[in-house]
Amino acid sequence: MAAWDLSVTVEDLGPDAPPVTLSVASDLHVGGVILKLVEKTQIKRDWSDHALWWEQKQCWLLRTAWTLEKYGIHADAKLFFMPQHKPLRLCLPNGITLRLRACFSNPVFQTVMGICRMLNIRHPEELSLLRPVEHKKKKKDKDSAEEIYDLTEVPLSSGTFTTLHSHLSRPCLYNGMPAHFADSPQMEAIYKMLSVTQPPPAPEVVAKQYRPASVVDKAHIHGRWLNSSRCLLQQGIQENDRVWLRFKFYAFYDIEPKYDVVRLTQLYEQARWAILLEDIDCTEEEMMLFGALQYHISKVSQSEPQMMSSNAAMDDLESALQSLEVKMEGESIIFKHVELSDGTVCFRPKRLTLKGYKQYWFKFQDTSISYFKSKEESIGEPIQQINLKGCEVAPDVNVAAQKFLIRLLIPAPEGMNEVYLRCENEQQYAQWMAACRLGSKGKTLADSSFQNEIQSIRSFLAMQKTNSGSHGNAPANDESINTNSLVSPRYNKKYKTKQLTPRILDAYQNVAQLSLTDAVMRFLQIWQSLPDFGLSYVVVRFKGSRKDEVLGVAPNRLIRIDLGVGDVVKTWRYNNMKQWNVNWDIRQLAIEFEGNVNIAFSCVTADCKIVHEFIGGYIFMSTRSREKSSTLNEELFHKLTGGHEAL
Amino acid sequence: MEQVSDEEVEVRGEEEEEEEDSDKEDQDLDKMFGAWLGELDKLTQSLDDGRPEQPPQQKAPLRQETNMANFSYRFSIYNINEALNQGENVDLDALMADLCSIEQELSTINTKPNSAGSLARLGIWNLNARSIVHSSRSSVTSASGVSVNSASSMDSLDSVLRANESDSQQLIHQDSLSLSLCLSFKHSYLDRETSLILRNIAGKPSHLLTKEEQAAKLKADNIRVALEKIKEAQVKKLVIRVHLSDESSKTMMVDERQTVRQVLDSLLEKSHCGYSPDWSLVETISELQMERIFEDHENLVENLLNWTRDSQNRLMFTERIEKYAVFKNPQNYLLGRKETCEMAERNKEALLEECFGGSSVSVPEMEGVLWLKEDGKKSWKKRYFLLRASGIYYVPKGKAKASRDLVCFLQLDHVNVYLGQDYKSKYKAPTDYCMVLKHPQIQKKSQYIKYLCCDDIRTLQQWINSIRITKYGKQLYINFQEAMRRTEAAYDWSSLSSSSIKSGSSSSSLPESQSNHSSQSDSGVSEMTSSSHTRSQSVVSSIFSDAWRRGTQGELRLLQQKPIPSGHKDLTCIFQVSFHVMTSVR
Repeated sequence: MAAWDLSVTVEDLGPDAPPVTLSVASDLHVGGVILKLVEKTQIKRDWSDHALWWEQKQCWLLRTAWTLEKYGIHADAKLFFMPQHKPLRLCLPNGITLRLRACFSNPVFQTVMGICRMLNIRHPEELSLLRPVEHKKKKKDKDSAEEIYDLTEVPLSSGTFTTLHSHLSRPCLYNGMPAHFADSPQMEAIYKMLSVTQPPPAPEVVAKQYRPASVVDKAHIHGRWLNSSRCLLQQGIQENDRVWLRFKFYAFYDIEPKYDVVRLTQLYEQARWAILLEDIDCTEEEMMLFGALQYHISKVSQSEPQMMSSNAAMDDLESALQSLEVKMEGESIIFKHVELSDGTVCFRPKRLTLKGYKQYWFKFQDTSISYFKSKEESIGEPIQQINLKGCEVAPDVNVAAQKFLIRLLIPAPEGMNEVYLRCENEQQYAQWMAACRLGSKGKTLADSSFQNEIQSIRSFLAMQKTNSGSHGNAPANDESINTNSLVSPRYNKKYKTKQLTPRILDAYQNVAQLSLTDAVMRFLQIWQSLPDFGLSYVVVRFKGSRKDEVLGVAPNRLIRIDLGVGDVVKTWRYNNMKQWNVNWDIRQLAIEFEGNVNIAFSCVTADCKIVHEFIGGYIFMSTRSREKSSTLNEELFHKLTGGHEAL
Repeated sequence: MEQVSDEEVEVRGEEEEEEEDSDKEDQDLDKMFGAWLGELDKLTQSLDDGRPEQPPQQKAPLRQETNMANFSYRFSIYNINEALNQGENVDLDALMADLCSIEQELSTINTKPNSAGSLARLGIWNLNARSIVHSSRSSVTSASGVSVNSASSMDSLDSVLRANESDSQQLIHQDSLSLSLCLSFKHSYLDRETSLILRNIAGKPSHLLTKEEQAAKLKADNIRVALEKIKEAQVKKLVIRVHLSDESSKTMMVDERQTVRQVLDSLLEKSHCGYSPDWSLVETISELQMERIFEDHENLVENLLNWTRDSQNRLMFTERIEKYAVFKNPQNYLLGRKETCEMAERNKEALLEECFGGSSVSVPEMEGVLWLKEDGKKSWKKRYFLLRASGIYYVPKGKAKASRDLVCFLQLDHVNVYLGQDYKSKYKAPTDYCMVLKHPQIQKKSQYIKYLCCDDIRTLQQWINSIRITKYGKQLYINFQEAMRRTEAAYDWSSLSSSSIKSGSSSSSLPESQSNHSSQSDSGVSEMTSSSHTRSQSVVSSIFSDAWRRGTQGELRLLQQKPIPSGHKDLTCIFQVSFHVMTSVR
């Protein structure tokens, strides 16, 4: 067979080096080409990761046994010889950029699997890559200032060598982290960044971020998802380009705090940003609770840096013993506290007068408050004894005005009794507030959490103090977390700091006792139970309709939103979906539901492959619980999402 | 022995209370008292548990028995103590093993102590406990490597104990002593290596454990057992009287740990009324004309303690199809649809799995116009309400229903949802389909009670059930599954016991049970529901006749699969049980 010249650009020779010319025949297989090429370059190195990229056809020549003829390569082919794994700048859900080696030759689905394996995130099928929203000219100065965590030195073996299903089974941990993170202090720092939540962002940072203002804006973001069935290079992603790693499918399967430290942290970060940027709508009460949880999480994560969860059975035992200890200590502490309780607490049953606070001698015992005319009479019968168990405790505090009120809403057969306790100073307030909160939960002062409770109340008061002093510019560290950075810009406009702080404090009291993991889980749960949770939007045009409408894709259903009304007009559930088809020629999706319901639409803001992938992906996610084996069924994913590109 | 007399006084006091109560309520006093005494025996026995006692073969008088046991036990402790002071950790195990063997012996002894006898032992127990405390406390010091003379540490502990006594002006109860006993276990066993080991072995299969690890695990288990015993000794019990619909009555004792499910189970067992997941304990508050089905996981005693002393409240034991209707026809509740519809069984399962299977429960999309009773007035105004996981909201006038503009009407943490009865006449409600939200402790009219009125029964039931789902989430589903399991188990059992009905041919019982149904069917039940509804109270069926038509078809199938033992047919009627909280027995 006749020999002809094939020119190949070898990336490792440098950008200016001329292409290497090889004399080949059409029946030479790709492996042979590579062999010749390597011999000719005379560079001794590990070429195992290298492969040929055919630029005109935008494809990798990965089948080394195929001949040039079979690939259809002629002398005019522009081939590049380069590594399949290249550095990629990955923007994590927590907003931090990571540099790592990602696979540019496999379908994005596998690339994400590799990335997740490296970052120790289980269930990579839930994540995907997104083209970033372009910044305007500011990009330059931002890049230079940004701290980039570098993971490119991690040997690829830790990403590829491990068994096929290691991403699903529980990874082996050394010092609580995957082996490749335990190598050096730098690597440990990266793991810490991945697994510990970031401090609340400054309000200015939040305000500066792009916020989608409408459903259509949100739809545009969802048009940026990369195609899971094609590789990065095919989608125009180059070495060192920036992409976002995000949770794409809002069906989080089998969350196990013990093994999912990074996954949970990043999920929390994504949820937090979705709330802060009002990507998902919530009510004011919910926003305050989210704020309180963020405050608590950032506070606790500073004191206990790792999300450690010990054996549940052990915890049971420990807590049982703890409560025993409490009962034992109870008596002595209560007696101690009798001395603590002083007569300066003022008291006002709400109904009696408007402003009449009367001073009594107060005593806190077990879960009850008793009060007396004076200290001398405190040995005898109290004027009244109030059992706090099951009552609602709310703060009414203004540090600047030295107002320290505790509002108690005590249930009784006749209704709720509203009672105010006025404390003289911060110290007294913190103690009594803590006592009331414990009492409302049926715990006594002897409970081990009493001191913690006092501490958290005081730190919150401190926060109010700093906030009322300087507006907004407080650094985001422990004692002075800015409440403005805990809620979305809308509420920062709506409320002044001194109005906001008590509201968050109010919500905070219900979550102050949670452990870090529990708080993160609670945050995610509340997020997940928001009505709009998990909706990804696409602007579509339904068959036969003349106007744009929005299709919302959720983990369990599709919704149709009328842009004019702004309301959901129709819901279809995957449960009674019979089949869906894509007509790739006219790029139209057709879905058939049970009961002869047929819909068809074309997509406006996204490629129909993206919508197809969303639907197929959610179907795939729902099959996971039914499948017994813990291996990721990659083939099924591609079958469901690949369309005409299916492997 | 002040302790003893103290206890006796307490017991006598209880007896008096009991008699007083019985004066008021004449029925089956003997039975009840007998049962009560039995419980008391159990109670004292449980107090005895863990107490040293001699092996069962000796049949000396009780008092002497314990004394001897006490002596021998002290002796063993003395030995251990010596060993401990040499700083050998292993002997801690021996102490634990010792305690365990004693406990085992105790549980095998089946004496029936009269209360005086058992009380007499309490004092001795105290002494024992104290000595145990000493030994384990001193073991702490020895284990920590600080060389402290054991005698001096004992002395100091003694003084601590004495100080305690003088402080509280009374002798320490065995409760607190057993607590301290356990506490010292904690210190000596869990503080150091053991807890380390326990952490390390978390999740390891047992056959892979080393000897030490197994020992550590054993320790932890033992302590857990000990904790259980202590809890047992502290349990509060309520004697309650049960009135049945036929004017007969039953009394039963509920302990404070019992869930509604457990009480239901024992009621079902006693009344032989055929299992069905729909049996419910319903609290009716007659003063406020409202009722609520207790959820299976709730604690009964806790709820009953909310009642006032002079309460007219009643607890009914009835079948309520609405209790688990959500799970039988989830499509009517979870999809936020306005119309009832059919759904294939497998789709129902998928829907339930979807809603309750995940880590967070999806709140049903409930929203719509409801009537709200204005505070203190008999007027009702319309508002657009929405249900969210964080509570019930309404849309303020002139606003769209964007999340951020919603006004929070109520958060659900502290309130329960009740069914209002006959509010059309009581409060001039637009319809009789009312629900009430209030704190469970509120028993009288109050501004803190919120009344909502729906246009129809369907909406009302959707709202009530959606609120339940929001409030209890997955727990509700677990309750249902548990109830279904019991029903199936009961069915298995009854099919075994009844020779005429063989498993697999359950249809053979169909004609029988149907004829039974039709003979009982009464007016007010629409023809479509009659066959399945007869087992429920007529009130229930008439209220829900139409709305439940579809819902009960599924239920019909379910009922037919369970043959009703023929002898108990007549008992399938509803009991009305009113419970009187009479005494709280410590």
